[in-house]
Amino acid sequence: MNEIGLLVQRLLDETTKTSVGLFVPELVLSGTIVAMLLCRILPLLWRVPAQWIALLGAFTAFAWTLCQFDQLVGGTMQPTPIFTGLLMFDQFATFFRMFLCLFLILTITLTVLSGIPDREDGPDFYTLLIGATLGMMIMSSANHLLMVFLGVEMASVPSYAMVGFLKGRKKSSEAALKYVVYGAGAAGVMLYGISLLAGLTGTGSLPEIGHRLSMIVSQGAGISDPIVRTIVLASLMVLVGLAFKLSVFPFHFWCPDVFEGAAAEVAGFLSVASKAGAFALLVRFGLAFSGGSAAVSEIAFALGIGIGVLAAATATFGNLSAYGQTNIKRMLAYSTIAHAGYMLMAVSALMVMKYSKHGGAESTAATLSCIEGLIYYLFVYLFMNLGAFAIVALVRNQIFSEEIEDYNGLATQCPLLCFGMALCIFSLIGLPPMGGFFAKLVIFASVFKATSVHWAMWFVLGAGAINTVFGLFYYIRILKAMYLKPRPDGARKVSYDLMPVGLFVLMICLPTLGLGILPARFTETFNNVASVLLTGR
Amino acid sequence: MESLGNRLSTLLAIAWLLPLFGFVVEVFAMSWPNANRKSKAAAYFAIFCIGFGFVCSSIAFYEWGNGTDWAVFKAVDHGHGEAATATEHGDHAAVGHADHEHKAVTHETPKQTVFAGTFYNLAQFGNLKVSLDYYIDSLTLAMFVMVTLIATCIHIFATGYMAEELVNDYVDHQVHTHDGGHFHRPGRFYKFFSYMSLFCFAMLGLVLAGNIFQVFIFWELVGICSYLLIGFYVERHSASTAANKAFIVNRVGDFGFIIGLMILWTSFGTFSFADQHGTDGKVQPGLFSMARGHDGELAKTTDGKTVVLKTEQDGHGHWEAPAEPSHQKTITYTLLIVAGLGVFGGCVGKSAQFPLQTWLPDAMEGPTPVSALVHSATMVAAGVYLAGRFYPMFVPEVLLTIAYVGCITAFVGATIAIVATDIKKVLAYSTISQLGYMMLGLGVGGWGAGLFHLVTHACFKSLMFLCSGSVIAGCHHEQEMPKMGGLLRKMPITALTMLVGVMAIAGLAIPGTSIAFSGYHSKDAILATALAYTKLNPIHFLLFVVPLLTAGITSFYMFRLWFYTFLGKPRDQHLHEHVHESPWEMTGPLLLLAVLAAGCAIGGEDGKLFKMLTFSQPVGVADGVDGAAAHTVSLPGHTAIHESHSTAGSAALLAAFIGMSISYLVYGKGVINPADIKRQAASVHAFLANKWGFDDLYDVMFVKPAHVVAKFAAAIDKFVFDEILHTFVRMGIAVSKWDRKFDEGVIDGIVNLMGNSTYSLGISLRNVQTGKIRQYVTFIAVSVVTLFVLLFALYPKG
Repeated sequence: MNEIGLLVQRLLDETTKTSVGLFVPELVLSGTIVAMLLCRILPLLWRVPAQWIALLGAFTAFAWTLCQFDQLVGGTMQPTPIFTGLLMFDQFATFFRMFLCLFLILTITLTVLSGIPDREDGPDFYTLLIGATLGMMIMSSANHLLMVFLGVEMASVPSYAMVGFLKGRKKSSEAALKYVVYGAGAAGVMLYGISLLAGLTGTGSLPEIGHRLSMIVSQGAGISDPIVRTIVLASLMVLVGLAFKLSVFPFHFWCPDVFEGAAAEVAGFLSVASKAGAFALLVRFGLAFSGGSAAVSEIAFALGIGIGVLAAATATFGNLSAYGQTNIKRMLAYSTIAHAGYMLMAVSALMVMKYSKHGGAESTAATLSCIEGLIYYLFVYLFMNLGAFAIVALVRNQIFSEEIEDYNGLATQCPLLCFGMALCIFSLIGLPPMGGFFAKLVIFASVFKATSVHWAMWFVLGAGAINTVFGLFYYIRILKAMYLKPRPDGARKVSYDLMPVGLFVLMICLPTLGLGILPARFTETFNNVASVLLTGR
Repeated sequence: MESLGNRLSTLLAIAWLLPLFGFVVEVFAMSWPNANRKSKAAAYFAIFCIGFGFVCSSIAFYEWGNGTDWAVFKAVDHGHGEAATATEHGDHAAVGHADHEHKAVTHETPKQTVFAGTFYNLAQFGNLKVSLDYYIDSLTLAMFVMVTLIATCIHIFATGYMAEELVNDYVDHQVHTHDGGHFHRPGRFYKFFSYMSLFCFAMLGLVLAGNIFQVFIFWELVGICSYLLIGFYVERHSASTAANKAFIVNRVGDFGFIIGLMILWTSFGTFSFADQHGTDGKVQPGLFSMARGHDGELAKTTDGKTVVLKTEQDGHGHWEAPAEPSHQKTITYTLLIVAGLGVFGGCVGKSAQFPLQTWLPDAMEGPTPVSALVHSATMVAAGVYLAGRFYPMFVPEVLLTIAYVGCITAFVGATIAIVATDIKKVLAYSTISQLGYMMLGLGVGGWGAGLFHLVTHACFKSLMFLCSGSVIAGCHHEQEMPKMGGLLRKMPITALTMLVGVMAIAGLAIPGTSIAFSGYHSKDAILATALAYTKLNPIHFLLFVVPLLTAGITSFYMFRLWFYTFLGKPRDQHLHEHVHESPWEMTGPLLLLAVLAAGCAIGGEDGKLFKMLTFSQPVGVADGVDGAAAHTVSLPGHTAIHESHSTAGSAALLAAFIGMSISYLVYGKGVINPADIKRQAASVHAFLANKWGFDDLYDVMFVKPAHVVAKFAAAIDKFVFDEILHTFVRMGIAVSKWDRKFDEGVIDGIVNLMGNSTYSLGISLRNVQTGKIRQYVTFIAVSVVTLFVLLFALYPKG
């Protein structure tokens, strides 16, 4: 009895004294949700606009994570597992939480500008939006298989509802339904994988997995060994759940339909935030195999090669499929698939180099640059993809169309929006002065380093290179429509307020250029994040 | 102390950069398609920029004075006393002086008066550092205050003078189109002021520059501004030709400048004037320290053919030549002469000295305010300024060259001015002549005298140019003096202010008193130095006689100009009827400048201006140089100059009065008919009117041969290279025709095949996306199984 009391006491202490304090940003977001719903219920507060509450909450959470990140980098805070090891509080997690909060702010601002949820639906929409972000933040700090699943589901369920938010539109509802069913299928597979893994290892804690696995896998065991076979299958199934979130080929089918059906703002949110969370989780899961015996590393190495092949396939498939698209959101959906492929290459290179037999100090530096490249890519991707979707949303409000041919000659009417679009597109293609170029460069460089470990990475690198060329064609089509085609007579005129809208567009589009011109400052921070994650220093 | 340096550099940097800001704003704001061409906003903005610059410069001047306890005036007083005692010591003065001064300075801690530093490091190529430095001493400050003040006056004047450009459709009556009409263009009011702002920026940058390379940059920049402003009426053939001429002639001088720069860089390894304090606490000697050290002496080797650079600091912080030969950095004496002559070559071009003086009269094609600011008061004086700034690097041989060049220029310019009839041309030649005076002053060792004349000349010459501008505007752009006359009644303010200017340049004074116009003081200073110089070096007696003669001529032609224009009967009645006095924004600056022209040099060599200037006088100038030691010529010290003052002053005054009297008799009273003289001395008149034939000479020597060479080169180009090229082209066409077939048939085929197949692959991939949810979910299961099977198949068997 006494012992249980002591245990409870320690749990309470750990929770109240450390964990809750570090969990404040999430709590603030939860509080924001409650506050918005309260406002909806109480007639007195009915007039308070939900977006301002949401924005306030998002800002507070962002500021808080920023402080935490600053303290972590400055060394006044130490990385620590919280909630009895369910979550991990470290640079990597905090960076992604910060990233997600920043993105939340930008998305809310965009919705305020484009007015997609009306006053009536505002609280509901922002509840879903913040709820999904909360899930993604948990994904990025998950340290336990349970939290992996909870995070993925928490991020997914609000997303389903958001996709179907444009009530009364057939496509929207259909997209939501597809998303739900597909998501449910993927989650089922993932859950199966998780339970297999937990059953095999007897723990859910990610840092433990590598160690535990090495106890059950005998040295030199191949695929004919049933335990190895089970581990591979279980890992594969967990990866399927993440692949669904990342829309990796062949688990991408939901993506074009959902993006086409959802509002552009939601599509932009899903394409960036949910990918960021999923990549954080993927990296954590990938690193879970570390600390194990050579046999475990071999499994992880094989998974790394497999991810690389999938990455190459995803990038190629995404780019090629984008060719024939006439709807800009659908085209951008395929483009996000392709970009997921590029980023996946970084994860593949990471795992290949991390788990190679001849690892050393050199390979540690190389793995660092993989994570650095991934984070850099995500950071640039935030601006360039959100920028593209934001402009699609803003243009949609004026011309009521998302077909590429309706963009003909837009440059004469809204030069600023088209300029922003051009910046985003150049960055998405990866042309030199833009951030997209630099990000691709870092990733390809790490893949190139990985080629010395395994020949299959040459294939990945080749696919990456050729896809950059593929990408050129369909992106340029948008620019061609905007800048070279004449505006047809009788087309709707586009007018927008220069002050908030133009400023917002510049604010999210110019960083794509800035990140390409001044990468040094960022790479330093990203390198720090990566090194703490990999080496604990 | 350091903070004073910072304050000064900040203030002057503001004064320097504001016009640049003004330029940018004016150019961009007014180039806006629907900018209002009738607005004077550009002018007001430009005036604000330069006016504020003047305020900053004045504050900087005041701060400098305060920070140094007005050391200028006190210390030089002290120096004078010292000089007086030194005189009593008799013959040994020159020897003992250095020690004396040394003691005089050390018994009270000397205040820092020179502030140098770096604004911004532009680039570093190996040892070559290219940076934006500043070098602030009393000369810099005096130039800043003078340039900003005069520029402000001229800007204000120009708002009136250029007002006719405030139209959307300006008709240039001096440009005829093919159909016999006049040329129409939009007004360029804003453009004028933007160029003026750019010029002010460049000029101030030139003055502020702390290294010779930076000087060169701004040197070229003022050249560009001059080019733009001379060619302001670019549609006029004469204006565009004059702009080209000015630019090209200046290039000739700059060629020498670049050679000088290269020699300096190779031998000294730095461009910086002042010592540079590195970040590691080490002090790098600047050019002046290396050449002269603290005592102003060149460290020559015993054979006199090599100069050892002073690159080591002794215990007192004085720069000394290293004793050990292995540490020595040396330059041959000849090379030092060549470097000095090279840099002086740049000055010759910019200051329109003989033999490159021909561009300046033509430069009068620009608007008159430009002539006043750029081509008389500031830019052309930049050459003199640089010669003064670079003085420590000039060896006596170079100084002698400078003196003779200045002497010849002064004389040539003055003689041509006698016969010029265009009012601006007269002033232009007088500018040339006066610049010659300044160079002469520097060359004979009167560092202070030359720069003194620079400042006073800037005041009265800008005044006279503005007056002539007022006359020209009043006479509806008539510049020929024979058509004027009797304008005194019609435009009294202009006439009287012009008279002040004329008296100032003629150097009039009331004998026996210290009441005199500014020109008297500065010219007297130069002549006194020249006289002292000829006393020491009798063989160079022409250096005193010619300038004295020129002083008389100057007085003659300047009064001729005034009598011709303002007195007598109107010679063109029609013109006379339409003459009117100029508006206040033109006459206001005239009055202000007239006060300056009359009184800026009050007190002469004991006055504040001269003392302030000489405070930054290079070490050793005050003592003079004894020729007997090693040099070919001797330079007079202050004492010697002081002795010559009364003689030189009286002679100059006499010459001026004689010149004035003759002028009065000929043009004022009409006792002698100038036309008779012209007939009597027809050949002389033709010679002078032909500007000593320099233009013809250059035409034959350079322009014609250049044309011949150009034609020859063109012919080679046309008949040889073009032919070869054409052959190649024909071959290329033949190849490309064949290539096209290959291209269209094979390459395009392949590319199209690839493109089409990729495209159709992409299109076919759409078919995978059926949109059927059942299929999608099935795909999950199928994919997982497939992936697992693949992994199973490829995974190494245990």
